[in-house]
Amino acid sequence: MLLSRIRSALVSASCIALAGCAAVGTEPNPVDPWEGTNRKIYAFNDTLDKAVIRPITELYAFMVPQPIRTCIFNAFTNMTEPWVGFNSLLQERGHDAINTWGRFLFNTTMGIGGCIDVASMNGQPRIPNDFGITLGVWGVPSGPYLVLPILGPSTVRDGIGDIANLYGGQLVTIGMINDVPVRNTLWGLEFVSRREALLPVSKMVDNTALDPYSFVRDAYLQRRQAMVRGNLIPTTDNLPEYEDDDFGDDVSEPASTSSEEKSK
Amino acid sequence: MSKSPTFCLARWQHLWLGRMALLVILTAAVWVTTAQAAPDPKAPPQVFVQQVADQLLEVLKKDKSALQQNLGRINEIVDEYVMPYVNFEKTTRLAAGKHWRQATDKQKKELSEAFRNTLVRTYSGALTRVDSGTHMQVLPFRGDENANDVVVQTHVIESTNAQPVRVDYRLEKTPNGWKIYDLNVENVWLIQNYRNQFSDEISRSGIDGLIAALNKRNSSN
Repeated sequence: MLLSRIRSALVSASCIALAGCAAVGTEPNPVDPWEGTNRKIYAFNDTLDKAVIRPITELYAFMVPQPIRTCIFNAFTNMTEPWVGFNSLLQERGHDAINTWGRFLFNTTMGIGGCIDVASMNGQPRIPNDFGITLGVWGVPSGPYLVLPILGPSTVRDGIGDIANLYGGQLVTIGMINDVPVRNTLWGLEFVSRREALLPVSKMVDNTALDPYSFVRDAYLQRRQAMVRGNLIPTTDNLPEYEDDDFGDDVSEPASTSSEEKSK
Repeated sequence: MSKSPTFCLARWQHLWLGRMALLVILTAAVWVTTAQAAPDPKAPPQVFVQQVADQLLEVLKKDKSALQQNLGRINEIVDEYVMPYVNFEKTTRLAAGKHWRQATDKQKKELSEAFRNTLVRTYSGALTRVDSGTHMQVLPFRGDENANDVVVQTHVIESTNAQPVRVDYRLEKTPNGWKIYDLNVENVWLIQNYRNQFSDEISRSGIDGLIAALNKRNSSN
């Protein structure tokens, strides 16, 4: 019931998005039917990032010493942990939920409001999770790849999940602050802090990717796929299958499609 | 009165022999530890990966210019201390997928060489953040040790960040021991991530075009 409703919502969402869609070059990638539009938004994001966001972030990294930056990043991350743990619970990953909430309690108290990640230091690293993953675990397919303005790589499913994440992770935390300038300053700082944590990744993409758009897309889809499957012990079942001896028609497709079908 | 000169001599000899023996033992011990420092591909996979990583980090931490984030120097170190344990031909073959068969031997060689440089650059880029506090921890081996294709999971812990970075290595058993052929950083497998880029470039401008594109990327910096 719920599933079919979500599916029909997805279909209507995709129709709206399709309307603004351009035809793409040679072989359309089945996971990325909107590549034409996506590439345009990617180019826009990249220009904006290089012209404005990255310089601000680099200035921040230059002016604020590393321990303070780490503290700020940890504190923002800590604030979303109750919501992250709640998602683990929705996914019936009770063990992860307890560990995440335990981390929240430990870091909020012993780690001075989440500033110091004492839980990681004591062998309980963060377990990233969100509502897009929850939808995936419930069986909602990822839908086409989607590049969102400013926010970057996503899928139709993850985009919908982000609306819930906005409520659960932001509006009930920083969003509760009534003082508008304080609230907006905190949100701005959080954005810069999260972008700063990704600086090494963008540097790597710039230095090694043949096609940065496709590199980011495939990395994003792979990572999300793995998160939906859960951080399982790698065995032959969940490892990428590259074998080059028997070529079907779909060999060149990313594993994303095949494992998505399996989970249905 | 009871100590005869011969006794003294004997005692002196005894001491001297003892020192010599100690010296021999110490030399042997030093030799054994240096011999152990070179990674042994025939060791169990998780031991082998730990050895490769330990040796690499040790070299990086001692190297002044590497610590100053000199990418050229880090590339050299990766080339010398990591690449001997990597089967980059297999990595390239799997990334090229079905197009590999269409390539001539010359193209295969050039493509592997070009992608090898990309691999070195990718790995080196990650190593620019190594400092004296960086260390690597191999997680307990969870697979079948008798398999020919295994994954070793590791955590890289940086001094600036308590949250470990998850890095997995995929290895295959060869007659000469284990060889690494794929790498996973935070759930992203390297080969998988180059497959679409390879096939797009090949369908646009052929295998030679791909080789040219990789070489162009590698020379820019």
